[in-house]
Amino acid sequence: MSRENDGFVFHRGLLQGVLDIVFRAINFFARWDHLPTLLAAANLSVFRDRLREHNLHHTGYGTTSPGWSTGNERWRSADGSFNSLDHPRMGMAGARFGRNFPLPECVPDSGNDLLDPSPRVISQELLARHTFIPATSINLLAAAWIQFETHNWFSHGLPKPGNEFKIPLPPGDDWPEEELIDGCMKIRRTVCDGSTREPWLGATPTFRNLNSHWWDAGQIYGSSRERQMQIRSGVDGKIAVGNDGMLPADPDHQGADLTGFNDNWWVGLGLLHNLFAREHNVICDGLKTRYPTWGDEELFQRARLINAALIAKIHTVEWTPGILGHPALDLSMHANWSGIPNRVLRAVLGKDSEAAYGIIGSPTDQHSAPYAMTEEFTAVYRLHPLVPDKMEVRKLDTTDSKSYDLVDMQGRASRAFMQTHGFVDLLYSFGTAHPGAIRLHNYPNFLRKFTKDEQPLLDVAAIDIMRDRERGVPRYNRFRELVGKKRVTTFEEITSIPGAARKMRAIYKGDVDRVDLMVGLLAEDLPDGFGFSDTAFRIFILMASRRLKSDRFFTDDYRAEVYTDFGLDWIQNNGMKSVLLRHVPQLGPALEGVNNSFAPWNVSGG
Amino acid sequence: MALVISIPGLVRLAIVRDPDELLRVNDAGTVTRPLSGRGGLFNRSVAAKLAAFRTADGDIWPAFRDRYDPLRAVHQAKLESRLSNVEPLLQDIAPEITELGNYVGGGHAHRGMGVVVQQAVGRLFFADYVASEESYEAARTLQAWLSAWPLRACWIKHSGALKASLDRIEAASRGNMACAHATALALENLVMSIELMRELARHGDNLAKIEPQEAAIRTLRAPARVVRETRDGDFIGTLRLRSRTLILLALEDAHQQDAAKLGFAFFTGTWNQCPAHGLVPTLLRKVWEGAKTSAERRA
Repeated sequence: MSRENDGFVFHRGLLQGVLDIVFRAINFFARWDHLPTLLAAANLSVFRDRLREHNLHHTGYGTTSPGWSTGNERWRSADGSFNSLDHPRMGMAGARFGRNFPLPECVPDSGNDLLDPSPRVISQELLARHTFIPATSINLLAAAWIQFETHNWFSHGLPKPGNEFKIPLPPGDDWPEEELIDGCMKIRRTVCDGSTREPWLGATPTFRNLNSHWWDAGQIYGSSRERQMQIRSGVDGKIAVGNDGMLPADPDHQGADLTGFNDNWWVGLGLLHNLFAREHNVICDGLKTRYPTWGDEELFQRARLINAALIAKIHTVEWTPGILGHPALDLSMHANWSGIPNRVLRAVLGKDSEAAYGIIGSPTDQHSAPYAMTEEFTAVYRLHPLVPDKMEVRKLDTTDSKSYDLVDMQGRASRAFMQTHGFVDLLYSFGTAHPGAIRLHNYPNFLRKFTKDEQPLLDVAAIDIMRDRERGVPRYNRFRELVGKKRVTTFEEITSIPGAARKMRAIYKGDVDRVDLMVGLLAEDLPDGFGFSDTAFRIFILMASRRLKSDRFFTDDYRAEVYTDFGLDWIQNNGMKSVLLRHVPQLGPALEGVNNSFAPWNVSGG
Repeated sequence: MALVISIPGLVRLAIVRDPDELLRVNDAGTVTRPLSGRGGLFNRSVAAKLAAFRTADGDIWPAFRDRYDPLRAVHQAKLESRLSNVEPLLQDIAPEITELGNYVGGGHAHRGMGVVVQQAVGRLFFADYVASEESYEAARTLQAWLSAWPLRACWIKHSGALKASLDRIEAASRGNMACAHATALALENLVMSIELMRELARHGDNLAKIEPQEAAIRTLRAPARVVRETRDGDFIGTLRLRSRTLILLALEDAHQQDAAKLGFAFFTGTWNQCPAHGLVPTLLRKVWEGAKTSAERRA
């Protein structure tokens, strides 16, 4: 393994070895989520170590060595290079996606098997939303947040025409005639990786990430120096904003704000981008006050470091426990960031223990492979059911509300919608609306017949299914096995959603091994409090920690010399609520008594 | 019908002997060459043995490349095109063929027959390939590694013999993985065929009576077993295979059921046909002819 993984090897400690055996025995009798909180959190830590050992696989970098720029040692480079000073290409924009499974497991089906069963039939029969199923424990800002974050982590690029998949349509399908090719629905393929393939890749396809793989707020700051310079004001390190305090329009992308990454733009992204652009500028002000001799570049880069870390913290200790409402998760995610607040445990486990003191500030470790986002990670983050088809836009100062179609709040219409309804009211509306539950039969219908610039008419649900298949992500049952869960033998073992097992059996012709990953994840019965499946969560356990542990700026270089004392305090003392209240103090009543900003806010009486 | 053995935690295995069934299994979409090692201890041990056949930079030996590996198809086509030029290639190894003919005809060999076979095979790739007792011993070690019981396998691995043998074979093959495979693993069948030819020649007046083509048919040996794995459960014809079943394709058994079809031993006509499917039977015929000539000369 080490030869393929560029020399990285996982080193298991004695305690980890012992705990592994103990929890194998415990899990023989009890699932992790049924254990008492502390034991369950320890169980998750054991899962994570197993995954770190077996579920990180290198696919080569697929990019050339970047040139050194001044400051790379002190702050994040625009393209993510030199995060690892020994392996400068690791995680940079344009580097390949890695894998969570051994490469021979990540080979797409051949020939007709790739299109079987029809993704269009799955879209219609298993995914289409009949009635909106809300996720009542979180607000719509949580849905926008995860898209905001995934735009930081990955992009496969915009598919190009030519050599499309031809998806046969079932009888009576109303897909428009003019969109057909040879009587079939067309789905463009993922942009191919044109870099030289290493001979050990075997039959595993590789794809490149246009964005930097790191948790560096690249969605705000871009993944290239050129983009970074476009979004900057050039004064005091600040991001350019208009006279109204909002991000300017992107001249090349109608309806979208000028920001680091603005693909698939909609109002939800506009809110968060504006919020954290303002946060960046406030941080710049704070730094400028304390370090008046710093120029624009130094202020910008330091503020970026602080802002990116704050976003990572919010994601770790607020968004995640918000969507995965299990007490062990709450404990584990806080432990990931700042360790277990127990003096005895800290003394026993020692200063470098990530369990005792948190990953933040602990030594950097890539474990068994060079850091990269993985195809499997992108697959488990297909969370489109979070998006509703309609949304109530409320006004903070009145009880008025009006329902709008989401389709009218996205793409070219986004900025106009924001201007019409205003930043404050829209934030309030997002905070008080529910997203969809991540379940079967809850895929937004407007995305199943979706128009996007420079693309054919899209059934995004069918595309989601095809993306996993074409990228060689294993189907659901094998995916379960490869993340350390038992395979299921019947459809009823997957789901108790009424009628779902019967429908799946018919579509998959009784073969439970053929169930698509996304279908299985959406069908799976959830642990108590969870917003998405336990199978997806296994990848999450591994990658959520890895985004921090592999990144020098969250580990070895999380120190005052890099962040400044002001920066460390800022990250320590702030969270989503304080960010919201700093920039939109009018939200005070709506957020009063709300512990987690991704939980539903108070609806005011006007 | 295949024999399926499943003992939870120990083994999940299917042995396929029927020629038609074997071809169906070999062609099935869910059946792969790379082994995951899942399914039981036995499955894990077999997978661990095959995992040794990787170069220092992680390159994969051709016989272990998966069906849809683009490099496999390219290498296979390139090698097949090279080996299809049979007559000039056999001219290049005429001295080795003469030596083997002499051996089959009952003559005294100056060096081990296996060494001669290895050199003949190696010279199909490099005109100056030189085999020795040491290089042949390395090949024998690698063959033994694949079929050894756990204790012996453990000894081969931990004594350093495995690593040394791989290094020796790869060095002699100058990084050409097809050459490494041919001179380490594939030559085993050729050696067996030559031994059978010698046996055949010793009995009565077989050498004079039997035509070269007939001799080749009688003595050609296919690999005893070829391993595969089912990634997911599936029905292949009437055979139901669970996920992670280790499949042993008993190629030689199947071949013997209709030995006249020489192509079967080489998976001819399938995605994984051996690039030497045309060369080896001709080589055996030449050896038999050489044996006749040698015997006549001695007489």
